[in-house]
Amino acid sequence: MRTNYRMNSGVRFQMLSDDQLEEMFWGVLHLLEHTGLDVKHEQARDILEKAGAWVDGERVRIPSYLVKESLRMAPRSFTLYARDGNHKHDIRIGPGRAHFGPGPTCPNFIDVETMERRPYVNSDVPAVAKMVDALPNIDFCESLGTVSDVHHDLGALYEFAGMFPNTSKPIVAWSYDQHDSAGIHQIAVAEAGGQRAFEQRPNYVHYCEPLSPLVSTFEALDKLIFAAKHRIPLIFTPCPIAGGTAPVTAAGIITQGAAESWMGLTVAQALQPGLPFFMGGVYSVMDMSAMILAYGAPELPLFMAGVTELAHYAGLPLWQTGGCTDSKCFDGQAVIEGSMSVFFSALTGGDLCHDVGYTESAMTGSVFQLCAMDEAIGYSRRIARGIEVNDDTLAVNVIQDVGPNGHYLKEKHTRRHFKSEFWYPNLLDRQDFESWEMTGGLTLKDRTAARVRDILATHSPAPIKPETEKAIEKVLAQAEERVQE
Amino acid sequence: MSDILEQVSTAIIEGDLDEIVDLTEDALDEDLGAEEILNGGLMAGMDYVGVEFKAGNMFVPEVLRSARAMKMSMEILNPLLVESGVQMMGKVLLGTVKGDLHDIGKNLVGMMCEGAGFTVKDLGKDITPEEFVEAVKEFGPDVLGMSALLTTTMRTMESTIKVLEEAGVRDKVKVMIGGAPVTQAFADQIGADGYASNAASAAELAKQLVSQA
Repeated sequence: MRTNYRMNSGVRFQMLSDDQLEEMFWGVLHLLEHTGLDVKHEQARDILEKAGAWVDGERVRIPSYLVKESLRMAPRSFTLYARDGNHKHDIRIGPGRAHFGPGPTCPNFIDVETMERRPYVNSDVPAVAKMVDALPNIDFCESLGTVSDVHHDLGALYEFAGMFPNTSKPIVAWSYDQHDSAGIHQIAVAEAGGQRAFEQRPNYVHYCEPLSPLVSTFEALDKLIFAAKHRIPLIFTPCPIAGGTAPVTAAGIITQGAAESWMGLTVAQALQPGLPFFMGGVYSVMDMSAMILAYGAPELPLFMAGVTELAHYAGLPLWQTGGCTDSKCFDGQAVIEGSMSVFFSALTGGDLCHDVGYTESAMTGSVFQLCAMDEAIGYSRRIARGIEVNDDTLAVNVIQDVGPNGHYLKEKHTRRHFKSEFWYPNLLDRQDFESWEMTGGLTLKDRTAARVRDILATHSPAPIKPETEKAIEKVLAQAEERVQE
Repeated sequence: MSDILEQVSTAIIEGDLDEIVDLTEDALDEDLGAEEILNGGLMAGMDYVGVEFKAGNMFVPEVLRSARAMKMSMEILNPLLVESGVQMMGKVLLGTVKGDLHDIGKNLVGMMCEGAGFTVKDLGKDITPEEFVEAVKEFGPDVLGMSALLTTTMRTMESTIKVLEEAGVRDKVKVMIGGAPVTQAFADQIGADGYASNAASAAELAKQLVSQA
């Protein structure tokens, strides 16, 4: 037995003090109460007014007690379930648990065969989902692109229909409007075995984006209302750009972005108390010479660490961002920017870290970047797991047994721990020069390409139920009919 | 393959030190020949281990455990193999050269060679050329393996080979060398018969050198 003994189970990381977080927290509440947001959805304004908000035309101001009440209702800990009951693919949201996945809606894609940039097409969706299903450190699925070769209103629906059968890891689904959302939900509910079963074991999360600065758009709220009514876990994620659509300072952009998320939170909790809700999203800088939203800037992981700490202080899980780059190809820049941001994200414990696999500042999705980042996440997770200290790991007896001039290769202690204490790379090369040369002298790019192609050629995800296949056919046929009208 | 040979081979793959002796004796009780057990059980298991190790599915501590199981079985089979005049895999003599106390790599080579079926004698570290000569005469190895980690001590490999020549035993043994600073070019330069960059390829090299002899 041990008393008065404190253990750290992993690397401890904290940037902001409780005093700073409290000051930011009250800054957000002040902003919501005194400035408010434009809410471009009449029903949402009614819901807010009924809950106690002050409505003045489109402008809605929320008293701080109401925001605090909404924060209190939202859970900090819950589970997103694998559609096939595979527990290894479940995601348990809660303190100290960081998860990773790709992002949505890039117009372009790096072709798997040629490694050239081209428009994202429908047949890319199953490939991305299969990669997600197979990669050990990727936990949830988005598609890395907007399908360009179907009717322009149906991209999101085809995307979900392509992802769902090709991975049993939980999916994060975006949509254009309530029609899409309804179709997506029909597919997910068919697999879950009905609405009630879905509510108990949700297998996807709904994603909506408000507009910075300080606008809750009609589409974002319309989808939020659909999700809340059907008790679909929700991500409400702004994409503020420091110096452009948000204050240039880190504390300023975080304050504004949090206010944008918490407006959505208040609507969602008023409609569906206890709905799992992630605040978001992508907080970065406008590059003042290239005029882009920089996905590889160090300010992105820095801002995201600040938002994560504020979210956790307020008791909400966070939709984090990392593993992305401004580079146009698979090169050192892509790996530096991606690896640094996933490592930082892993340290913060931000709950769902998305945009892993984004290149060219979110213009192009790449499964090669995704695959390389899977390796960087594995590396980061080993560090974040930290050092375990107990009689067994101190190994005083083992050291005594081996003594000076001995070696540890034959020790039971070595055999018992070498797999869990060490992390083993899938892509990083540690061979001696001769072996490396003999195996083809391959670069990280070569090995990543080979792993991607091998997974796509050999991996088979768990199948969906026959009734879900029928539901997909029906939903797509109905949607095609709708857009013909 | 008979059941018992399959069990022997599985015990090798799993490094089952508790069972391997009994299984070897069971195989002999079933009237299987020592050579049959060696090839169909032990080597079959070690071949599998080699493939899995190269593929990154098995790791050093597991390979060493398999090698130890192999060694325990060989202790029973060896006298029988000698008796029946079977051509043995061969003998490997190892040592880290004079002035050098780094021997983890050389230890690995020894264990990998045992796993490949060699009888291994390890002289240890800080071994003088004269001690090598003495051991070659006494032990009669097919292969002599020398290691050095330091650029300052690797030169001693060259002088050791010279002393072997002077003592008239150089042509009785194949010399292989290894260690972090050692290269194929250096091996060629000092007149060694082979160089390997890691322990697994050293065991492979020893096999090649023996088959050339």
